[in-house]
Amino acid sequence: MEMNRRDFLKTSITGSGGLLLALSLPGCASVETGYNADQQSWVPNAWLELTADDDIFFTLARVEMGQGTYTGLTTLIAEELDVPPNRIQPRFAPAAPEYRNPLYKLQLTGGSTSLSTSWEPLRVAGASAHRMLVSAAAKVWKVESSQCRTREGRVLHPNGQDSLAYGQLVALAAVEPVPSAPTLKTPDQWQYIGQPMQRLDAHAKVTGTAEYGIDVELPGMVYAVVTRPPRVGGRVKSFDANGVRTMPGVIEVFEIDRGVAIVADKYWRARKAQQALTVVWDDSDALTLSSADVMTHYRTAADADGGESERSQGDMAMALATADDVLNVSYEQPFLAHATLEPMNATAHYTDGHIDVWAPTQAPDLGCIAAARATDLSPDEVTVHTTFIGGGFGRRLTQDYIGEVAAVAYRVKRPVKLLWSREEDTRHDWYRPAMLHRLQASLKDGDMTGWQHQIVGPQILDWYVRDAAPAQYPWAPKFLYNTLGSVGLMAEGIATPKDMSAIEGAVDYPYGVDNLSIRHTHTDAGIPVTWWRSVGHSHNGFAVETFMDEIAHKLGQDPLAFRRQRLEREPRHLAVLERAAELGDWGRPLPAGRARGIALHRSFGTYVAQVVEASIRAGEIHVHRVACAVDCGQVVNPEIVRDQMESGILFGLTAALYGQITFENGAVQESNFHDYRLLRVNAKPEMVVEIIDSAAPPSGVGEPGLPPVIPALGNALFALTGERQRQLPLRA
Amino acid sequence: MPLTLTVNGQKRTFDIEDDTPLLWVIRDELGLKGTKFGCGAGLCGACTVHLNGAPVRSCSTPIRLVADQSITTIEGLAPNGTLHALQQAWIDHNVPQCGYCQSGQLMTASHLLATNASPTEADIVAAMSGNICRCGTYSKIIAAVQSVAGQKEEA
Ligand code: FES
Ligand code: FES
Repeated sequence: MEMNRRDFLKTSITGSGGLLLALSLPGCASVETGYNADQQSWVPNAWLELTADDDIFFTLARVEMGQGTYTGLTTLIAEELDVPPNRIQPRFAPAAPEYRNPLYKLQLTGGSTSLSTSWEPLRVAGASAHRMLVSAAAKVWKVESSQCRTREGRVLHPNGQDSLAYGQLVALAAVEPVPSAPTLKTPDQWQYIGQPMQRLDAHAKVTGTAEYGIDVELPGMVYAVVTRPPRVGGRVKSFDANGVRTMPGVIEVFEIDRGVAIVADKYWRARKAQQALTVVWDDSDALTLSSADVMTHYRTAADADGGESERSQGDMAMALATADDVLNVSYEQPFLAHATLEPMNATAHYTDGHIDVWAPTQAPDLGCIAAARATDLSPDEVTVHTTFIGGGFGRRLTQDYIGEVAAVAYRVKRPVKLLWSREEDTRHDWYRPAMLHRLQASLKDGDMTGWQHQIVGPQILDWYVRDAAPAQYPWAPKFLYNTLGSVGLMAEGIATPKDMSAIEGAVDYPYGVDNLSIRHTHTDAGIPVTWWRSVGHSHNGFAVETFMDEIAHKLGQDPLAFRRQRLEREPRHLAVLERAAELGDWGRPLPAGRARGIALHRSFGTYVAQVVEASIRAGEIHVHRVACAVDCGQVVNPEIVRDQMESGILFGLTAALYGQITFENGAVQESNFHDYRLLRVNAKPEMVVEIIDSAAPPSGVGEPGLPPVIPALGNALFALTGERQRQLPLRA
Repeated sequence: MPLTLTVNGQKRTFDIEDDTPLLWVIRDELGLKGTKFGCGAGLCGACTVHLNGAPVRSCSTPIRLVADQSITTIEGLAPNGTLHALQQAWIDHNVPQCGYCQSGQLMTASHLLATNASPTEADIVAAMSGNICRCGTYSKIIAAVQSVAGQKEEA
């Protein structure tokens, strides 16, 4: 039976990769496939377009924000299409159902899922087009298609002489039947997967030609800045724009949901006008708390409520009651900002009942919703165009800046670019939540008999559903958006995964122990939070691996040996741990004044262990070396894996050494890179990364390098000073 | 009052408030978007350009201070479509991740090599410490600079 192309997409891809394309949600246009005779171009599926001029376009549905999807995903499709990846021209996907992330049912890039969720579908899409091209050539030559080979974008005749370029075949291939389950290459046939390869975006990024959100320029474009309330929950009471409206270049000053917008013909003029604006804030609903109050709030909540049990085995209460000794600690972690180097920005143009938005966003379909919500438009009257992204780290999964630009563009009715200052970006972020962890270990006969971990803090989805619910339920009328948001996604009973954001990395405690209790006290101090690189793992990794170290020392055991003996049933954990120990010279003598710490953490399906070597000199922590072993399954591009490990390590060290957002009276105190420091090259340790060979399916690499480095450094400092630090950031 | 600058070898005249940072003139008046905005406070180096051959933070340089002087941006780092040796090295070493800081990194590094053809690693680190890379591409930046410095040594 011959299927049409849309059926092909639905069935073959659902069958192989779980990509639920059958969810053809209304309100979002689908991708047109087939042959376009006018343009002599063939769109075999949602990902590929081949033209008679031999151009091959690949629609990249996971944004490129540094993590390498532009190269990695292109490699997958190139492999099966049998063309060198640099022959393919990636372009950024518009919002369309085909491009949704199957794990989230939303078109979002996050959770280190791009490669794992694209692994099958993209190879199938490439293989399918390849098969149709070969069949078309075989018909031209009247030979068996099984006798034809391909090389670098050409089909080769069995006679060894003739060949046809893919471009010459597009019109014919388009009428070939779509294979229902094309055979994929076996690993020994791979030419590009697993090979180090040049990043396809490198040239544009070293010549200054890559277009980021901030670079979007439209004819007649004007510039907007927004003054927002300093305190969380503050609102505009009144503002005095009299002096401002007459300043040079100022076009309009008006209130939007989030503050007061100033629109001017030039960015600098808008900024100068902003200084002259006085706003009186209505702080009746504003928070007044400080960071210390947040911790007090958590402690009170934790005392009152032991939390929901997320995992339990044996009898922890009994283990504690019968222990020789109980180790009882708490760890506190601060709010953290994302500090993407490209500040939040977006550009929009409202004309004829439709708004176009250009934005560096990790979730374009949520951007549609945010723009619709900020205007009187419906989501299908919004088009979101994506760009290169100057760092995401989860920040750009939240679409507040798109809502702002849409509100402004809707009012001024001309192209407008909104740009946040660094100070605004730091103070109006949605933060990695501050967290409290309480841990107890029961010790008996020189051994650990029980492990209890109470995680205290908010869940990200509580905040995120406000954006996500309407995108998942596009049939819902607009007035329901906020209700849907606050009721939550789960209320609909649609396969929304459990919110693991507070407990991931703790609930999957890998070490063997008889009695175990992992609990979550769900409490929220009202500070906006969102996904932050490695999410829950960023704090749970520290709690678990620091406490493991504390127990090992308490029992007088070597921290490596203590972990190793509890990993008998976890071979992948064990292998990275042992390899990292070797790479990090664990147990070998060190010069005086230096010490090592070790930590192991699995996140997003990837196993990472690290050994950190550190010292303290002149009142500062120095990190000398980080040895890192990683098992991320089948490797698509080893160089990107190494880069991402280093990237995660430095991101984690930045948090460990400097990271802290402080609230006073409901307002963020930090503002720019002098008081929210980022690690510079002069603080960079030597890094050694080794990838463990694995045939397991590929897992993410953008985040897993981060979680272990924070505890590994803390553990090294303990080894150095004998003092345990239970609060982040670490102090010299 | 009109101000004149030479940017990437071309004379340009603007009528703009003289306290406007050079960065916004480059980006919005000249449309040269390769120079980036990261902090606006001289802290990150994303906006680095050359003023008469030496790196400056264009976000913190009012245009009146550079009137009649010569500016080079990432677009002018290598003349007419060729690549500077460092740009090629950046490609060969796959330096960029998100890439947002890299124009600034290249402008700083190219000045380093122009003044010190064979810098030690310590020289490179010292020269590059004003340029933040949030993605953590520092190891590769050092390797890429060294590869070009090495070539010069051999030559
Ligand atoms: S933007 Fe100029 S130094 Fe950061
Ligand atoms: S490559 Fe992203 S900030 Fe440097």
